[in-house]
Amino acid sequence: MARKPDLLPGTLDMLILKTLTRAPLHGYGIALSIKRLSDDVLTVEEGSLYPALQRLLLQGWVKAEWKMTETNRRARFYTLTAAGRKQLGLELSEFEQMIAAIGRVLKDAQEV
Amino acid sequence: MNTLSRFLRKLSLIFRRERFGDELDEEMAFHREQAEKEFVAAGMTAEAAQYAAMRQFGNATRMKERSNEVVGFSFETVVQDLRYAIRQLILNPGFTVVITLTLALSIGANSAIFSVIDGVLLKPLPYPQAERLVRVFFSSASFPKFPLNPFDFRDFRVRNQSFDSFAAFTRGDLQLSGNGEPARISAFGITSGYFRVLGIKPELGREFDSNAEIAGNGQQIILSDRLWRTRFGAAPDIVGRSITVNMLPYTVVGVMPAGTDHPGNDYHALPYGDSVDAWWAFTFTGDPSDRGSHYIEGIGRLKDGVRPEQAQAEMNGLQAQIDREHHGDGGWKLLVIPLYREIVGSNQRMLLVLLVAVGMVLLIACANAANLLLARAAARQREVAVRLALGAPRRRLIRQMLTESLLISLLGGSLGMVLAVGGVKALVLLLPAGFPRVAEIHVNALVFLFTLLVSVCTGILFGLAPALQASRIDPKRGLYEGGRSSTGSARQRRLRNGLVVAEVGLACTLLIGSGLLLRSFLNQLNQDAGFRQDHVLTASISLPMAEYKSPAARRQFYQRLMDGLKIVPGVQSAGAGSDLPWTGYDENTSFTIEGKKPLPHEDIHARYHMATPDYFRALATPLVRGRFFKESDGPDSQRVMIVNQAMARRYWQNEDVVGKRISTEDTPTEKDWRTVIGVVADVKDTPSSASAEPAFWLPHQQAPHLDMSLVVRSNSDPALLADAMRDQVKRLDPSLAVADVRLMDRIADVSIATPRFAFFLVALFAGLAIVLAAIGTFGVISYSVSQRIPEFGLRMALGAPRRELMRLVLAQGARLAVGGSALGVIAALALSRVLRSLIYNVSPSDPLTFIGVGLGVFAVALLACYVPARRATRASPMTALRTE
Repeated sequence: MARKPDLLPGTLDMLILKTLTRAPLHGYGIALSIKRLSDDVLTVEEGSLYPALQRLLLQGWVKAEWKMTETNRRARFYTLTAAGRKQLGLELSEFEQMIAAIGRVLKDAQEV
Repeated sequence: MNTLSRFLRKLSLIFRRERFGDELDEEMAFHREQAEKEFVAAGMTAEAAQYAAMRQFGNATRMKERSNEVVGFSFETVVQDLRYAIRQLILNPGFTVVITLTLALSIGANSAIFSVIDGVLLKPLPYPQAERLVRVFFSSASFPKFPLNPFDFRDFRVRNQSFDSFAAFTRGDLQLSGNGEPARISAFGITSGYFRVLGIKPELGREFDSNAEIAGNGQQIILSDRLWRTRFGAAPDIVGRSITVNMLPYTVVGVMPAGTDHPGNDYHALPYGDSVDAWWAFTFTGDPSDRGSHYIEGIGRLKDGVRPEQAQAEMNGLQAQIDREHHGDGGWKLLVIPLYREIVGSNQRMLLVLLVAVGMVLLIACANAANLLLARAAARQREVAVRLALGAPRRRLIRQMLTESLLISLLGGSLGMVLAVGGVKALVLLLPAGFPRVAEIHVNALVFLFTLLVSVCTGILFGLAPALQASRIDPKRGLYEGGRSSTGSARQRRLRNGLVVAEVGLACTLLIGSGLLLRSFLNQLNQDAGFRQDHVLTASISLPMAEYKSPAARRQFYQRLMDGLKIVPGVQSAGAGSDLPWTGYDENTSFTIEGKKPLPHEDIHARYHMATPDYFRALATPLVRGRFFKESDGPDSQRVMIVNQAMARRYWQNEDVVGKRISTEDTPTEKDWRTVIGVVADVKDTPSSASAEPAFWLPHQQAPHLDMSLVVRSNSDPALLADAMRDQVKRLDPSLAVADVRLMDRIADVSIATPRFAFFLVALFAGLAIVLAAIGTFGVISYSVSQRIPEFGLRMALGAPRRELMRLVLAQGARLAVGGSALGVIAALALSRVLRSLIYNVSPSDPLTFIGVGLGVFAVALLACYVPARRATRASPMTALRTE
């Protein structure tokens, strides 16, 4: 079994918030979405979504609601709140700054 | 705002925990089903799909736990740990009871001793700014603490710069008459400003002013609140009233509030506390140039910022001045010591020794508890390995094990607190009479806090090592070995053995300490006292000066009293003396020896006493040479005296003393000489005094004192003579009070109460310590034997005789016992010097005690190994091998 890269610490919350920007999703949907969007590069231990979702709920960044799926099953759907959207913006810009910084360091290292 | 809403959400979830869990389960199940469907759709079998979904999802229980942690409060995990710990304790009731009881006993003992220390040493004295109060004494090589002369005191008071206020006091009990039976009351003569020094204001009236110190201005008295209430019905108009004291009118000028504590005194001591009934105004009489008579004690309040040493230096300067003015010999130095130190005195050392002793007991109990936990942790290895394998963080495991040990220690602590309440009551009853500040010993909030702190520290102390050890288990090994046959690492074994050696050592140290105290106590009990305490009733009588001004009246009173007492049925002999043995009497005088020139700066002095003819017979003090006093040694016959052996030895060495003459005058004329007619055996000031002081006795007929102690020897129960004694006194003078009616046995008992108290408690703790150490040794050896049963079986199967197995186990125990005893002996050698001031006539490194106790402890430890060793020999080769 090929070893997949671990998620950067602290990024799971950001990824969840990001996937919720398009539409409300249930937990499984979020996992699928992250996997697809990253072309199977980013996989999470799927269960760890749930403690993370509890954390986001507690912060008030997402809301949860029980609804019926297309296949008529009961599932809990998560929706991004206004506060969550703001938080995502904040985290994205911090993340981009960090990536840029890392990029600069790596580029510099190559040139030497 | 955010934190608040988060908190509120957490709070709201507390009551919906079950639904929260159900919902989480449901959505996680939904998740796995969806994943499964996908795998099936991709062509997997149903079973393979299920496993794949589970693998992809991860540890569901762990995820649920983590979700719970997110929404839960942090204390909730503590509650979980606590529940788990309680379950564990209930599952092992024997373990729980043993460990809790030993901890309760040792924590309780610590709390009880701490209560005493808190009351006696830690609580501030009940005077405002008590740290500024000092006691002032004269001091010389032969008299380290000596009272002041009144005129010296007056000079100090006027000239010093160090004191805010300076006063003096002297014991002088009074006889109160009117308002019922005449009564002797405990009283002190005090100078003006005495209560200003102490910082206590009268509740009625005022304290004495300087006018009261001048003779002839009328006698004044201040009453204690107690006397005012019991004797005068708390009359509000008491101030200004005249009452009859010592057959004279005294004017009441004030009443002191309840709880006016006596600061303690050295000379005719009255115990510290609310012990004084009244204070009379001290008057300065006599010739101010005569500075030879010392009987008042100094007490002062230092100015803010002045240290006692500074005051002492200043006073020594003043004393040099006074010596120059009055041609003193320069032999006296001044001693200024803080009141606190004077009150607490030698008891401080004893209490600290007791605290160290109970502390050691607690350490032993800790070592036992740690060993029990270690053994149990080994048995629980598998459980721990499973939990580690399931992903429990080590930190959490350590915390959970510490929760268990803390629960045990707090349980022990609360039980100990209950024991301490009873223990303190018992301790107070056991304390020697006259022990300072007994009334202030209570179990209070501070004691409670101390107990809590000790319990928590104890729990961490005995829980930490086992918890760390257990969490260090490698999950794979723990699971393979199945927790049964693992003998524990060498490190674990070393730790367990080390704990046993330490506790045996501590117990040995304590036993040596109690052995030294026992030897000291026995020495005091069995020493040749110089008198017999049994069958003797004593009492004291104080003739009022007003009615017994003439020496003839005093002579007649005591002579007639003795004559009356002698014919009471049951009385063997009756005498009276100025004092009783072992009561700390120390009236001294210097004197001149006929035909001897004192060396320069030689201090020729002796205790002086008065006695009636049968005083020594009643006390059964042996006559060594010459004769006792006779009725015929009257006022007009030859002036005679009896000396003790110490005086004969000190001043006449090997000469025959009978017939020698001394005089208390500096330049005696022929009529001033007194002839020694007898030598009596030595009686020391107190049983623990190093040796008897030189002393002499004058016949009461030739030195008719007012205050005498009666000594009546009975041929049956002396207590039955008390009424007859009172009747005889009443027959002669109905206005007299008979005070301090006591059996000589009791006086002797009280005088050895302190060594007995110290010995009793240290022995109690040492006994507890050796029992605990034996249990500890037994436990560790038993554990080791149970672990080695397969090995023993194998040895037996290979032909080792049973005796050989016994020897193996005993040798293992003996190594620990030797280590422990040796450690104890070394520790005791280092520590026993602190006992020096508490032991009498025993060297702190007394070889008998050290060797005896060392061997005894070794024997006990070995005995503790005997039972497990027996079990080892009973190991059957078959069962032993089968368990492997």
